[in-house]
Amino acid sequence: MKRNTMLAAIGAAALAMAGMSPVMAEDITIGVIANLTGQDVNTSVQMARGVEIAADEINKAGGIGGKTIKLIVEDSEYKTQEALTAATKLYDVDKVPAVIMFGGSSLMIAVAELAKQEGKVLINTSSSSAKLGDYPGTLFSILPLDDILGKELGKYIAKKGIKTVATVVPNNTFGLGVADAAGAAFKEAGGKVVKSVAYTEGQPDYRADMQSVVAAAPEAIISAGYGDDSRTIFKNARELGLNVPWFAAYPSIFTVENDAWMNGKLSGVDNGGYSNDTGKAVLAAYKAKWPGEEPLAHIYYGYDALKVLAAAMAKVGEDPKAIAAELPNAVKGYVGATGAIAWDDRGQRIDPPLDLIEYKDGKFETVGTIQ
Amino acid sequence: MISFAIYALTIIAIWSVMAISLNIQFGMTGLVNFGQILPFAIGAYAVGIGIEAGIPWWAGILAGLVAAPLVGLLVILPARRQSQDYWALITLGAGELFRLTMLNVPSIAGGADGVTISRLGDRNLALGLAVGLLVVAYLVGQRISRGPLGRMLRVIREDEVLAATLGRNPMAYRMKVTVVTWAMAAAAGILFGYVVGYIAPTSFLVTDTFLVWTAVILGGPGRNIGVVIGAAILILLSVSTRFMAEWSGLPSDLVANLRLAVFGLVLVLMFLFRPQGLFPETREVRDVDGR
Repeated sequence: MKRNTMLAAIGAAALAMAGMSPVMAEDITIGVIANLTGQDVNTSVQMARGVEIAADEINKAGGIGGKTIKLIVEDSEYKTQEALTAATKLYDVDKVPAVIMFGGSSLMIAVAELAKQEGKVLINTSSSSAKLGDYPGTLFSILPLDDILGKELGKYIAKKGIKTVATVVPNNTFGLGVADAAGAAFKEAGGKVVKSVAYTEGQPDYRADMQSVVAAAPEAIISAGYGDDSRTIFKNARELGLNVPWFAAYPSIFTVENDAWMNGKLSGVDNGGYSNDTGKAVLAAYKAKWPGEEPLAHIYYGYDALKVLAAAMAKVGEDPKAIAAELPNAVKGYVGATGAIAWDDRGQRIDPPLDLIEYKDGKFETVGTIQ
Repeated sequence: MISFAIYALTIIAIWSVMAISLNIQFGMTGLVNFGQILPFAIGAYAVGIGIEAGIPWWAGILAGLVAAPLVGLLVILPARRQSQDYWALITLGAGELFRLTMLNVPSIAGGADGVTISRLGDRNLALGLAVGLLVVAYLVGQRISRGPLGRMLRVIREDEVLAATLGRNPMAYRMKVTVVTWAMAAAAGILFGYVVGYIAPTSFLVTDTFLVWTAVILGGPGRNIGVVIGAAILILLSVSTRFMAEWSGLPSDLVANLRLAVFGLVLVLMFLFRPQGLFPETREVRDVDGR
């Protein structure tokens, strides 16, 4: 038996070697890291699909300088070490100049450290930790920082005449960032935060957390979240009879649990670009390629990430340092699926176009914009 | 490719140290430590907190190496009169308690945001340190295993009452084992922090403890070389399936799931056909003088 297992190990190694197929000379390889297994899979897959849509579009139009874009998608399993393994493989073995990444800040920062040391480029499509600003020239964010959107959300709620709120967010950088920014803006406008809940992600039940919100009896809830957790939160809130409006950062990335109960209850501030022509074209491409599957807003971020990167590469080629230097110029005048992109000198997105959206009859409607 | 191989070997060496540490606890002494990630996390966090506090790097390392065994003694104290099921629960709880504290009290080490550690830029140096640590851990493990201490630990593992009738205090031995193995795991954690360059609560989950357990069970509890090979197989399997995934040409999300399925399947098959591990402990007969 020992020999059999040895043989199996050798077989696995041989297969691994066979897997290292050389990349065609006429291809440009670009890496994508997403958590395809583990937590928060759906949103991650959507981002990767957005990148794929952009790659299809660019390749159809003749590629970058006649070269076809080849994507190598690696799984991060939502683990820091695996994200780092994936990034090391992409940068060192596949020799990609740039990686487009979806993942929490605990993964993104570790990969940013590596990219910085290796002199490569990292495009962030999902994480909004303030620490990401520490990697100018390495890391560029397609997603705007939480404080911008959170502030608008707080002001918006105060304008509705609401006096007391509870914040319900996941206990991560994104959730806490939104709660802090929205809460501060709401307080500044004269409101009061009566309860702050930061829930642990990935739990099967949040009744204890939601019970404490019910006990505080807020007039409304400020929230951020995504995926299965948001569905569970809504379910628990509904079961506990918490029938107050929900104001959210990026409501479109929530998973609504009960259409009828949520009708007219969920609204908030979201990225405003999606309704432009590029956004509509991306949506159409998505529906054509994955018919019957409901898209999430993440496809637009993935799409813009590759478009911006490709625009820089079309000008300066595949040298990562030249790409990093060109990227700030490449976004100038670019209007993508998430609107016009403006970066500060750290490569962090500022002044994003924002929309006010509301959940009505099973879908989100744009009810206003924030200039 | 070479630098990727160097990186993979570094990771293998770090987790092998963790496996040897658990092997001395579980394989030799029978201590069911479900919080093996705790000393690892303490080591990594000591370095991170040290950097935030602005103390010299060696002081942070020293703090980790000292704090982990102390915490270990504190954790096992309530379990001293309990059987190993309680031991498992207490260590599991302690590991989670530490992680959740780090997550929910941002003033200690940044909460969910974590702490950035100055990353070891030189990969060869990182590999050298990791292999050096592995050699030291292995020699310590072998010395314990081969000597009279290892024999007494195995007596405790098999029959605690027998050990007591021989005039030995099982708890004293367990404390000794805890001090040595938790310091060993802390050293692995310290190196992990420097290799990754960033630590956050998500790096120290219960699943990481079970990765180490899998390595030990796969390799063969009680044999140091076995658990090192167990850890190496686990990491190599995880790394090599990445290349297979790319080569298969299937959709990336499908392949990511298949990758984990293959990983699980190999483990299930191993446990089905070789439950004693790849390199099981061998029976040794010795006379009263230990020869």
